[in-house]
Parts: sequence; C-alpha cells; structure tokens
Amino acid sequence: MPRIDSHLHVFTKASPEFPRETTAVCPAEREESAEKLLGVMAEHQIDQAVLVQMGGASIAHHRYLLHCLKEYPNRFLGIGLVPEGHPNPADHMAQLTDNTGVIGFRFSTFGGPRDIFAKMDVREFAAYPIWKCAAERDYVLWLYPNAVNAHLLPYLIQEFPQVRVVLNHLAACPGKGKFSWDALGRPQIQVTGYNLFMHITYRLARFENVNVHFSGQYAFSREEFPYKDLAGWHRGLLSGFGTKRLMWATDFPWILEEPGYGKLTTVIEELLPGLSEAELADIMGGNAKRILRFPDL
Amino acid sequence: MILPTPEQKTQWEEEGYLVFENAIQGADLKRLQTAFDYWADVCKEEWLDRVEAGEAAATFYDIPNPLEKDPIFIDIIDYPSYYGALMAFTDYELILLGPQVRTVAPWPVSYTGWHPDVGYDNPLHIKVQIYVNDVEPGGGEFGFVPGSHKPDSGPYTRPMRQESMTGHKTFPGKAGTAIMFNSCGWHVSMDNHSDTPRKSIILIYEKRTPGRVKPEQFAAISAYCQTPERRALFSLDS
Repeated sequence: MPRIDSHLHVFTKASPEFPRETTAVCPAEREESAEKLLGVMAEHQIDQAVLVQMGGASIAHHRYLLHCLKEYPNRFLGIGLVPEGHPNPADHMAQLTDNTGVIGFRFSTFGGPRDIFAKMDVREFAAYPIWKCAAERDYVLWLYPNAVNAHLLPYLIQEFPQVRVVLNHLAACPGKGKFSWDALGRPQIQVTGYNLFMHITYRLARFENVNVHFSGQYAFSREEFPYKDLAGWHRGLLSGFGTKRLMWATDFPWILEEPGYGKLTTVIEELLPGLSEAELADIMGGNAKRILRFPDL
Repeated sequence: MILPTPEQKTQWEEEGYLVFENAIQGADLKRLQTAFDYWADVCKEEWLDRVEAGEAAATFYDIPNPLEKDPIFIDIIDYPSYYGALMAFTDYELILLGPQVRTVAPWPVSYTGWHPDVGYDNPLHIKVQIYVNDVEPGGGEFGFVPGSHKPDSGPYTRPMRQESMTGHKTFPGKAGTAIMFNSCGWHVSMDNHSDTPRKSIILIYEKRTPGRVKPEQFAAISAYCQTPERRALFSLDS
C-alpha cells in the first residue's frame, strides 16, 4: 500500500514564469520545491503527495503547482484555490482541472448566516454555486472552515452528498484573530482548552462523504512533538470517523525544521498506539489513494 | 422535602433515571421561561462574537453566570419536586457543581454524540435536565440508555446515528419536565429536526467529597443562601 502525504505545499522563487504573492514567511527568494519535497519523501519512504496551492488564487498563481503536477503525474495530485468573489468560479475551476492533476479546491468560507438560529436556505449561501459545480464535475472540496462558518457545512453536505469533502488539519475551525506565525515560521492557531470542534466538525462524521486530515498538530499543540496534548483529539476523530476516512499529512514545508519530516511520519503511531498494522496503513496512505484516486505507481 | 417513593428508588437503582413531569409549573415555570428568554436574548450577540473568535461552539450556547442573573436560577437548584430525591440518593451529601442554561439550535445533526460524563469510579454524579419549552420527538429531546450506569453493563460503542444506540429511550416532554439521571449512564441530545430551538437547563450535582467545590465558586450568590442546607449545597462554608 502506498504511503501518501495528503496535504502539503510547494513553491518556487517568485518569477514571471511562476508568479506568486509574497509574504514575510514566503519572500520572493524563498523556494520549497517539488524536487526538495521528493528528496525528503524518498528519505522517509513516502510515495505520493497532495500539493495544496498557496501564494495566490489566480490562474497565473497556479503555474508552479500545474508545472509540478505535469512533471510528476504519478506522484502528485493538486488542490487549487478560487479567488474570493470570483464572478464565475465554475469557469475558473474548469480551467484548472482540464487534465492537469488538480482534483479539487480549498475553501474557508461558505457565505451563509453567521447565526445558526437564522433560517437556512442553502441555495442562498455564496458557496452554493461552487458546491454545485463540484458535485457536477466530481471535484474534491478541501475545507479549513473559519469558526464563524463551520455550522453551515452540514447544510451543504446534505445538499451535495456526492461531493467528497476533506476537512483539513484535525477538522479544526480557526477563530478570527487566532492565527499567527511562530519563530520557526510555522502557523500557530490559538484554541480553547476544551475541544469545541467535537460539537461542530466532529459531528459531520454522520456523513459518509466527509473525511479528515490528521495534520497540523504543531499549530494547535502546546507541547513539543509528539504533541501528546492532542491525543484526545485524535481519539475523538478516530472514534467518530473510523479508520477508513482519516488521512495522514505533514503540512510540509512548515515542519521541516521542527519537528522534522521524519518525526511526523511517526506521529500517528505516537498518538494512536492501538491501531493495527492494516489500520495504520490505511491512514498513512490507503485511504488517500482510495478517496482521492491516486494513480498506481 | 418530597422523598422518592420505593418505586422511584428501585427505578433509580435499576435504570439510572427518573422523570418528574410538571416538576416546575404555574407561576414558577412562567418566571423561569421569562428569565431564560430575557437573558438568552441579552447574551446572544456576545456568544456570536465568541463563536467567530473560536472561543465558543456554534451549535449551542449557555447563558454565562446564570445564578447571578436571576434568583429563579438559584431557586431551581433545590426545587422541592426533585430535591428530595437528589438528597436521598446522595445520602444527604449533595453539592452543586454548576448549571448550564442552554439553548440548542435546530441543526441537521445533534451537537453531541452518545457519551457518559464520568467513569464508574467517580463519586455519584447526577444531572437534572429541565425543559424550559415543550420538546417534541425529533426536537433535540434527551436520550438515555437505561441501566448503562451500572459497571457491569455494556460495553457500549457510539453509533453514527443517535437513533441506532442499542437499548436507548428518548424523553420528549412538556415545559417544566425534569429528567434526573446518573451521569455514568450513556446519554445524548437527540437530533433536532424541528424549527424550534431546545431550551433547557442542565443542573450538575455530585455527592460531596472534600474540596470538590471551592467556597469562592458561588460566593457571588451568598446573599441568597442563608440556610445551612443551601450553604452546604453551594459549598459556601467548606
């Protein structure tokens, strides 16, 4: 069974060939290339990976992602972005998925009522056309919902049960103002001591088309690797979603320095020591292969 | 004090729950509903802000510090219709851990799955859930697995759907109904497919153990707790 890193990012130096947005953490000269990733993957017996777009949502911003998918078609699948407020998201998505290796798109907002007590008409949600398009074209939706949006998800999932949904980073829903970067250049998300997600996203286990990443532990934990304070989160997700809908990922490149790619290949064994060999193999790649339809190597 | 009947004692021991229909009624129920609705409305916007900030769950909300907001929330802690049973079951060593004055939104799935609150080695832990509005079947009613409070019962596993739990019983009820249950038992809020939020109050009690609740916890309502019984219930002198 292949070992698949189901969520990470690659980018190259900003250039006319490969334009991208720059930030303090990702200045123009920084490069975390597909070749560097493949080297680290080979060192740790990881076979395939999902490359998640960053550095801008326009078609041009996706050039490096598309380049990597074209260069290594058996090793990578891609997840794209849609510019917020795009007048025709279906066209944008179609352009990026025309035999490119891009299988879906990542979102954080759904454009419905902030108040869960409000009347919910899913057709009025801003994200409705995107979900409809995903349902028609079999795209995967890669979701990292903001806290204020998470309660809208089951309405969309109910409306489009055929859409494959992957909740990123332990099904967490970051709160407004709770995101920062640490001294090692890694995202940090401030969360409450009590796990609120078990009352929101964990409840989506009811829907068979919803899957979850075991990833991003470093961003939520208050401890060093192996992030034992998050063992309860992992057990809760395992209890709800079972062993067939969970996917391991590293969130490369943020973790390269601390804790290091190799350590993260063991994080599931550390946090869920009771898994059988077969269950672990599913989480480490089998589920990603089946759900995301990775090509045979 | 209204003590439990022999039948109630047997049901409590064997099944782990009791239902008190019309536990709160008339003017007291009206008072409770008025205070609940007023404070739920006042506190809602702040809760929505906290949801957005990732500091509160979006699927339900509790009125913060309810005991300090209206004396009716204190008066229901030792309300005669169920207080005697609470005292009897805890050998007259009852303490309050806290109240949850909770509004649960209709949502495609319940905000929680089947679970026990505490392990069998915990001191007797009892909850009383009081419906503030009528809760119809499919309206987020309480669910419980009778007998699951016993250490030799089970094992139980959490099903994907609330209604698939083996041996469970659901408890729709009129406003003013109180359901007392042993929190070792497996329980849940059923899905609410109605258009009506479920308004209820969950009172959490335990059999006293030294130092469990610090006197400061309920010091703000000390003026309402003048009898020795109330001071003991709120751990004000320990």
